[in-house]
Parts: sequence; structure tokens; C-alpha cells
Amino acid sequence: MSAAARPIMSAPPASPALRSIEALWLARTAEAGARAADDPLEALRSQAMHRVMALGLPGSRDDTWRYTNLRSVLARTFVHVPDGQAPGAEDADADAVDSLVGPAARAATVLVVNGRPILSPPDGNGNNLLQISRLSDLSRPDIEKIQGQLGLPSDAEEARWALLNAALFADGLHVRISGALDEPLVIRHLLRSEFPNGLVHPRVLIELTSGASATVIEHYVDRGRHPPLGNSVTQLVLGHHSRLEHYRVFSTSAAAEHIDSLTVRQAGHSHCRQFTAVLGGGLVRTALHAHLSAAGAELDCHALLVGHEARQVDCVNIVAHDARDTRSRQTARAIASGTSRAAFNTKVVVNRGAVHAESEQSFRGLILSPSAEIDSRPQLEIHADEVKCAHGSTTGRLNPDMLFYLLSRGLDRRTAQTLLVYAFLADVLTGMSVACARAAIETALVPQLPDSKILEEFR
Amino acid sequence: MLIISNLSARVAGKDILKGVNLVVNPGEVHAIMGPNGSGKSTLAQVLAGREDYEVTGGSVSFEGRDLLGLPAEERARAGLFLGFQYPVEIPGVNNVYLLKAALNAKRKAAGQPEVDAYDFLALIKQKMKLMQMSESFLSRGVNEGFSGGEKKRNEILQMLVLEPRLAILDETDSGLDIDALKVVSQGVNSLRDPQRAVVLVTHYQRLLDYIVPDFVHVLVGGRILKSGDRTLALELERRGYDWVQESNAA
Repeated sequence: MSAAARPIMSAPPASPALRSIEALWLARTAEAGARAADDPLEALRSQAMHRVMALGLPGSRDDTWRYTNLRSVLARTFVHVPDGQAPGAEDADADAVDSLVGPAARAATVLVVNGRPILSPPDGNGNNLLQISRLSDLSRPDIEKIQGQLGLPSDAEEARWALLNAALFADGLHVRISGALDEPLVIRHLLRSEFPNGLVHPRVLIELTSGASATVIEHYVDRGRHPPLGNSVTQLVLGHHSRLEHYRVFSTSAAAEHIDSLTVRQAGHSHCRQFTAVLGGGLVRTALHAHLSAAGAELDCHALLVGHEARQVDCVNIVAHDARDTRSRQTARAIASGTSRAAFNTKVVVNRGAVHAESEQSFRGLILSPSAEIDSRPQLEIHADEVKCAHGSTTGRLNPDMLFYLLSRGLDRRTAQTLLVYAFLADVLTGMSVACARAAIETALVPQLPDSKILEEFR
Repeated sequence: MLIISNLSARVAGKDILKGVNLVVNPGEVHAIMGPNGSGKSTLAQVLAGREDYEVTGGSVSFEGRDLLGLPAEERARAGLFLGFQYPVEIPGVNNVYLLKAALNAKRKAAGQPEVDAYDFLALIKQKMKLMQMSESFLSRGVNEGFSGGEKKRNEILQMLVLEPRLAILDETDSGLDIDALKVVSQGVNSLRDPQRAVVLVTHYQRLLDYIVPDFVHVLVGGRILKSGDRTLALELERRGYDWVQESNAA
């Protein structure tokens, strides 16, 4: 037995989830055996796992998890999701087309099943501007080059599941963009399992070299009777003067649960536009950790949170301004119907030295049923002088004056409400420059708008 | 066309309308005048079907139908139009989209097919010209960033497109300069015909110089205290509303 395979003592009382995760780790280590010694990422994995076990999984007492109810997740005994559940060729093709951009042109489409990229070799290598690889296919020197980027997430509670991802990801996708990509790159994540209590750890690293520009769309969907818990991590690394428009769209089923962490590291004068859209899922937590680490870096992030039926949506953004003349803007719009709950929990930290930093946080929530709930918590921590920071947060119901105006013009109630909800979300939707993705998101929204009867009851 | 009998209504627990009676026949233009807080706007909103205004008594018949039994959208489709005193801004909902949806809702109710896109645009442009509105309006959100005058013109534009049987115009003259007032009046007058009726709610007699009413009613304290022809408006202008209350008390 190798050193890493010994049981790891955890400090806090371990939940069933954590105990099962430890068992998964031990099984993995035993299976990897001697091969592990050659894996340059093995040390990273092992460190990450030890820290997860020492620190435990976060719960509702932890600050950034207060709006995510993980009780049922922590009570679960997770099992390994075996490979070999990749869809057949036809299935893969169908899935690839049935993505947010429809038949529109794209730079490439990558299907990732339970975190394992399905790559057809000729496609990925034809384009010099765009290199797409499986982490498992990278040579040792290549891995060493990106090791720093893959890095170890911090010990902070908000990054705990990302730490777990670092320990257990089966494979991952590495994308390197070194020029101007005219069409979007589509990454379609498929989560599927035939057995309950699966846990998968998709991992994506996207690098833009200096001056590169691209649009990347990540789309999460699930199939099968027992979608595994998704614990995904995407890392965006923007070089100097690069521009990226990134989408992460969750269209999972009501039975699916997902914990996603997105980290953004931006070099000088880079510009990142990020869109997060939660359109499905039973529980979806999206985290964004951004570091504006050099002068002139600019981040616009927009979130569209759709609470429907019993869905829980928790959006946690932490944006750190680490350098002067950095700018961040956060816009989020949440609607909640049924018994759903949507939360927007954000923090902007302006660190010392980040003079002339500018930040804006704008949140608006629209409650569409009496049993729905929306929480928002914009926070600001400023350690530098001469900064401009603003935040605004409002939550309310559908404006009765607007509704009456539309009804008085003869529009039926459902159309009027739909229009008003659209109008409410328009700030975020209109910012999306990929028209077909925007249209697909709009289409997905419509069936999730509340029934007129429910609203009448509510009034 | 419209028969209002002993109508009472309450807003936020307060009785505002206390027995309004009014009969409007096709082809007629009625002006309802009165001081602030007399219930003019409440009457307009109740007729249009505002749900948070509670009708506590009386009845309203519109072309033989029980108006109060219809939701707001069905009243509109039946041919009733309310020109709002304060048209609400709805950013994100396109003006033209609203107009088209409204027209199609009406056509659908009348068993007509949807309007052809080309015909619709031609119609809008023609009416916009009449209302002297700029084409930039086409791409904007409903009343979004409009000046007070532009909002009122937009109300009349909507009316012209929807061609209602009965238009209730709530203080359409307020906030208009004299040029805009002429344009708006011209729009309203263009719709006058023997089959239609207009109810103008206004503070001032100025509007009535341009849209000449057949009848003038004075609403005070939730009741119509006095009715007459257009000379009543001129007399009100001279003697003020107190005169109506005093002469009524006497």
C-alpha cells in the first residue's frame, strides 16, 4: 500500500458524504498504484485530498454556503461512476448539435461526459489558434507548464468543493487559444449515470495568450435516471490584452444537483465578459472567483438566475481587485416562482494598491409566487484609496402598473407577464453577443414562467 | 354605448366614487372635469378594469355587456381604450411589439387573422406621421426615456392603431405644450365618427378648445354634480369648481 492510500484522519466529524469520498479516494489510489508515481498531478491531488479531509465539507454555517442547502448532499454515500457510459457516436453527434448555438457556426464543439472529454483527434489539432486536449493526453512537460494554473485552490470554505475536484477529477479539458477566434467554442458537459449517488468532477482550463480573443460556451445537461452530483471547476486564464466572452449555462433536469466553481485570472488590460445562466437543475450553486491581478484588467459578469418549481439557485461571486485601474461590473437578475429559492451572495474586495479601481454590483430580484424566496447580499471590502465602488440591490414583485398597462391594451395575462419578466431580464440578455445562444436561453425561459393563476393568488 | 349607473368604488380602503351616473352614446364626446381628488382618474381606471380598485356598488354596461364582469384585457378587446394620465415606462418591451400584440389581440377576439407585418409597419408609419413622432420610437422600449409630451403622443398613437369604440382619455392634455396639444387633439379628432365615442377627463378647459365636447360633466367628491354643454366648461373656467359645490349645496 502506498503512503497516500492510508486512511486520512479528518479533524471535524466526517459526514457520510466525506467518509464515502475518502473511500473513493482510497479506491482510486489503490487502483492507480504504481502509475500514480508517474503522474505529475498526483502530488497535487494528494495534497488537495488531505486538505479536504482535514477541513471537512462546508455547511450552512459557512458564510458563502448559507443559502445552499447541502444537508441531503452531505448525508449521501457517494459511489464511483464507472467509465464506459460515453454515448454512442450518434448520441454524441445529436448532443453536439443540440447545444445552445444550434446549427450556427462554431470554432469547435467538445463533448465532455462526466468530466471526460470525447475528442476526435483530427478536429482538435487542425487549428493553430485553438488547441484542445485532454489533460490525460498531455505530456509531462506540458502538464508541468500548466501545473501552476491548475494549482491548488485555497483553504477557504468557498473553494472547498473545488479542492475536492482537484483531488478527484478523472480527466479534464485543456483549451489554449492563441489568436482571434471568430466563432464560439462550444463545450457541452453531459452528466449521466445509471446508478444513484454518483459524483463527478468535470474540469476545464481555458487559456488565452496575449492578445487572443474568443467566445466560449459551456453548457451543462444531464441524461439518465440518476444524474450524478456535478462538482465542476472551470478556470479561465486571460493573458495581456486578451478578450474572452464566457458562458456557463445550466440546463440540467430537476433531479440534478450541481456545484460549479469558476475562477478567472486576468492579466493587464484583459477583458472578460462572463455570463452565468441557471435555467435548470434541482440545486445549482455557481461560484465565481475573479482576480484582477494587473492594471487595466476588466471584468463584466452577468447572472441570470431562474428559480422554478423547487429549484435552489445560489450564486456566489467573489471579485478581488489586486491592481490599480481595474474594473469590475456585476449584474444579476433573479426570478423565483413556485417554492424556489434564489440567492445572490457577492463580495468585491479592493486590495491595497488597487488605486482607481472601479466596481459596480447591481442586483434585482423578482418574486413570482408567494412561496418563493430571493436573498441578496452584496458586500464590499475596500483596502485602497481613491476607488469608486457602488452596489444596489432590490427585490420585489411584478410591477402592477406595468401589468395593468399591458392588459389595458388587450394582451392576455400570460403574455403580459411573460413580456414583463423578459423585460426584467433584458439587461442581462441583451448583453449576450452570441445571438443564437441568447435566443436559446430565451426559449428555455418561457416554460419556466409562472402560471397566471399562481400570480393571481399572490396578488 | 356606455351606461354607468350609480357606480361606487373604493381605493386603498377609501371611498372615492360615490354613485356616478353617466350615459354615453355613439358619436358623442363627453368631457369630465373636476378638481383634484374628485375621482376623475379613479373613474377612468375602474372603467378600464384596474383590479386593485374595488367596485362597491352600481353597474356599467358597455355595448350591452356587463363591463364590470370583464377582465381588463377583454374590455380592451371589446373596444374600450384608456389613455393613461401617467403612461408607465416598460424598458425591455419594445413599443412596436406591444402595438402589434395589442392589435392582434383585438383582431383575434374579432375573429380576424393576424395583421400582415408589412401592412402593420405601413400603418404605424402613417399614424406616427400624424402624431409627428420620430422613427427612433420604433426601436425603443415602451415609453422608455420619453418626455411627458412624447408619452401622451404615444398613447394617442396606440389609440389610432387600435381604433377603439370608446376612448377614455385621462388628462391627456396635462404636461403638453401648445404645439403638442394641437397634435394630440388632431389625433383624437381624426378618430371621431358616428360609431365611436370619447370621454375626456381633464382639469382645464383649454383642451376643449381643440376637441369640442358635446357634453361637459363636473365630478366633485365622487359624484357628477352638474352636466351641460360646452358652455359649462367656459363657466367653470370663469367661476371655479367652488361654484359648482356651492350651487349644488344651495
